[in-house]
Amino acid sequence: MIKNHPDADLLAEYTAGVMALAPTISVTTHLQFCNSCKSTVKALEELGGEMLEQADAVPVSDDLLEQIFACVEEDETSEDSLLTRPTTIDEVASSIPAYLQKFLPEGKLHWKFLSPSVKVAPISVGETVHELALHKIKVGGKVPEHNHLGKEITVVLKGSFSDEDGVYQRGDFMVREAGEIHQPIAATHEECICLSVLAAPFKLTGLKRWLNPFLSFSPS
Amino acid sequence: MKISFDSRKPATLMNERLEWDSYLEKVGLYKDKAAFAAVFKHFSPLLKSFLMKSGGQDSASVEELVQETWIKVWRKAPHFSSKQGSASTWIYTIARNTRIDAIRTQVRQNPDRLNAEDIYADYPTEAPHTSLVQLRNKRFVSEELRKLPAEQAEVLALMYFRGKSGQQVADTLNLPLGTVKSRIRLALAKMKLALPGSIAERQTGATEND
Repeated sequence: MIKNHPDADLLAEYTAGVMALAPTISVTTHLQFCNSCKSTVKALEELGGEMLEQADAVPVSDDLLEQIFACVEEDETSEDSLLTRPTTIDEVASSIPAYLQKFLPEGKLHWKFLSPSVKVAPISVGETVHELALHKIKVGGKVPEHNHLGKEITVVLKGSFSDEDGVYQRGDFMVREAGEIHQPIAATHEECICLSVLAAPFKLTGLKRWLNPFLSFSPS
Repeated sequence: MKISFDSRKPATLMNERLEWDSYLEKVGLYKDKAAFAAVFKHFSPLLKSFLMKSGGQDSASVEELVQETWIKVWRKAPHFSSKQGSASTWIYTIARNTRIDAIRTQVRQNPDRLNAEDIYADYPTEAPHTSLVQLRNKRFVSEELRKLPAEQAEVLALMYFRGKSGQQVADTLNLPLGTVKSRIRLALAKMKLALPGSIAERQTGATEND
């Protein structure tokens, strides 16, 4: 059961379409697991529709309708293009959302070692404010204690992990504010894979500080 | 600041709204041009208003976005189902996606690789509401939206219509981010759009970001 959800105001930003790309992807990822937030988003879209209904009307050009009919007659053949899911070899890659696979070169994730128990696969979605990546923590593995310089969103895709505040399972959505220090540990029976979105690189506290250069990967 | 949606505007009759739904279904089923024209006539001036406020472009380029929205509506109409939501909601999401893609094209952020539509996939809820329940909800939201305190309506308008993030709304109104967040939550709770439980529970978190 999912216990950690995006706040209502975050879902409103999502529905209004005012979020940057990477955080938008993190919310969509959560929605794939969470019916409760899905219906909240539906309701918030209804609010959008209602606000549209209550907008003050601005007249459009007289020939706009004709132009539209001319456009749609021209390409009667073109159906709206459905997203083609690339064939993926990577087992993890095939379990991530279809639209994310578009960003994987040859349908593969490129895992880099971050520490003995943590691997990271950065995914460049072409925005510069946030870094999006998958993190894989091996069975029972510990993530070095780290301090967030910027806000971090994490969505659990597989397995579970815990930290000082609780246990997080598949579908859970967490936001860590800048300045929060934590040390996640994967469950002991299964590896854990998370999607994470960082607003700014985070730095390590404690002994493993030297790992920092590896953590501050930047999107290409 | 002027509120972007006109709360004094008389409510569109609810049975009239059901008409848009059935017109749109006809467009999907039979490519019915007369039905399309009726939906077009009602929503185009509203769409123009919506897209103008968020983009701030000149009238011609806003109409291009309106046109783009309608072309998508025509093409995607076979996927519209009034069981999943009303015409206005569906058209809103298409216009929003059109706006997002237009902005991303402007800033050259992978415009060819990913459309807003890919990300905001359709999320059919588990059990579709009956049209009666839907209509009742819609009427409730419609009425409550009109009754919102100006300060809450303003925040929603800036976000939904002008395309501002919570932080940008805070900057525009010169308010702490936490205040903007709690106004949104209060408004949503009033319209029963988000679970009040989860809101109360997170109320304390709201002020932490001030």
